[in-house]
Amino acid sequence: MKNFPKVTADMFWMQMLWTFGFLGVMFIINIIKIVIDLIQGTEVDGYYASVLIASNIYMVIIGLISIYFLPYYVGNGVTRKDYFKGGLLASFGLSLAIPIITFFISIVERFIVTNLLNLNFHVIDINEAVLDVDGNIIGDLVLSVILTPYVDPGSNWLLAMGVFSLHLFIFYLLGWFISASFYRFGTLTGLVFILIAFIIILLKDLFLRISLGLPLSDRFSSLASLPLGVTLPGIMLLIVFTVWGIRLLTKRVTIKM
Amino acid sequence: MNIKMDKLSLHFGNHKALEDITFELNEKKIYGLLGRNGAGKTSLLSIIASFREPTSGLLTINGEVPFENSKIMQQVAFLYDKDYKDESDNIIKMLQGVQRYRPNFDMEYAEYLIQRFKLDTKKPINKLSKGMQSTVNVIIGLASRTPLTIFDEVYLGMDAPARDTFYKELLKDQESHPRIIILSTHLVSEMDYLFDEVILIKSGKFLLQEDYDSLTSKGVRITGDQELVEELVQTKVQLNEEQLGNTKSVMIYGELTNHERKMAMDQGLDLGPVSLHDLFIHLTEEENVDEKLS
Repeated sequence: MKNFPKVTADMFWMQMLWTFGFLGVMFIINIIKIVIDLIQGTEVDGYYASVLIASNIYMVIIGLISIYFLPYYVGNGVTRKDYFKGGLLASFGLSLAIPIITFFISIVERFIVTNLLNLNFHVIDINEAVLDVDGNIIGDLVLSVILTPYVDPGSNWLLAMGVFSLHLFIFYLLGWFISASFYRFGTLTGLVFILIAFIIILLKDLFLRISLGLPLSDRFSSLASLPLGVTLPGIMLLIVFTVWGIRLLTKRVTIKM
Repeated sequence: MNIKMDKLSLHFGNHKALEDITFELNEKKIYGLLGRNGAGKTSLLSIIASFREPTSGLLTINGEVPFENSKIMQQVAFLYDKDYKDESDNIIKMLQGVQRYRPNFDMEYAEYLIQRFKLDTKKPINKLSKGMQSTVNVIIGLASRTPLTIFDEVYLGMDAPARDTFYKELLKDQESHPRIIILSTHLVSEMDYLFDEVILIKSGKFLLQEDYDSLTSKGVRITGDQELVEELVQTKVQLNEEQLGNTKSVMIYGELTNHERKMAMDQGLDLGPVSLHDLFIHLTEEENVDEKLS
């Protein structure tokens, strides 16, 4: 009897519960910000943009935690394979659910803010920020995590949500990848895997920026002409590599007691 | 259910946690797995429960390798002294989780056990006392009713009345829902009456597997005149000896023939039983006991 559908459902709803908490906190912060903006008469940062930025880190964190489901499941007679499949499907579902929920909340917010409160939305220039930190690899790295390539949902909402989901999915996978390596090998080797994860983030950003025709930092400007036929499979490959890595790390791992 | 270990070994670098363990469990009985601290009990059990793979050798359950075998893993429950410091669910929520993955789980029985052990169902598990957390493991193990249930030192922190309740409920449920139960312990004198069969391991090696009654009947303490005792025991496996003046008492392992018994009686020697506890102590303490036994 296959257990992974049950694992998928359990992990999805468990993490969805945390996600409602996260989105709820973001919502309250956003309301407070709107009230302040209302008093000061300044432009409003939308819910969508706030969640977009914060959720990447949120996904890394729940990705890191997801390794702790492994001993629970094996302890309940579920195979590592079923845990892996269930965890993967759940994280995929989560990566779809968050942008959809965020999108709907932001539509309602936009309606209320512009029509009822007569405030304007701050124009977001996340994509340009990358140009401000030149010649600093650490700066690139930090920005890659905080400010991922962004598509305005107003211009193409399907693409925007797709890119949003893609980011969430990859960040979750990387969190899982890192925690699986720590679980398997301990701290020292785990640090090497963090480095690998950062390289994956940089590559993913690079491929995505090129694919979307977004500005690149000077370091990589010579790559701007890479065709979609290279960058899209490149992104796909990064995902496959990470997923494969997680499976290898957990496939025969000893459960800590 | 059949559990078969064939030359099972587990090495950590140079350290041999288990070496060439070979034995078989076939019947729906309670097996006592005995061994001193560090003898390899938990290592062996964690392999049976698919928590880890052996370095070499073969383990099969019903003819199949259990590791990553969902059909088998579902039928094996392994309860041990688990760290619950991050478990914020209460017992009911926890059991509901277990129930989803254990086909034979009996929630009504679990609720009966919760009442029996007077467990607080409102409190998160990490707020329960150590003994109560052990009780949680006992309840999960019993109520899961898996065909192979392993309790590894599961009573740690439980007070004497709670342990007694555990033993009683274990026997009661084993009678109505027979299965293979492995109890790993070093509380031998307290739990010996539970065992149908005893498996002894020492320093990672298999020592013996015997029916409880036949094992205890093999231990004899012979007390009496030093010379007579020495004459009688010279061909036997001697586990322990004590002497006071001219009186000597020797504990031997191995059955006495009727002739030997009669002779001993005629010579005025005293033949006394040896408890499993004493056998355990001396069989696992004695150097080279495995050679003597073979």
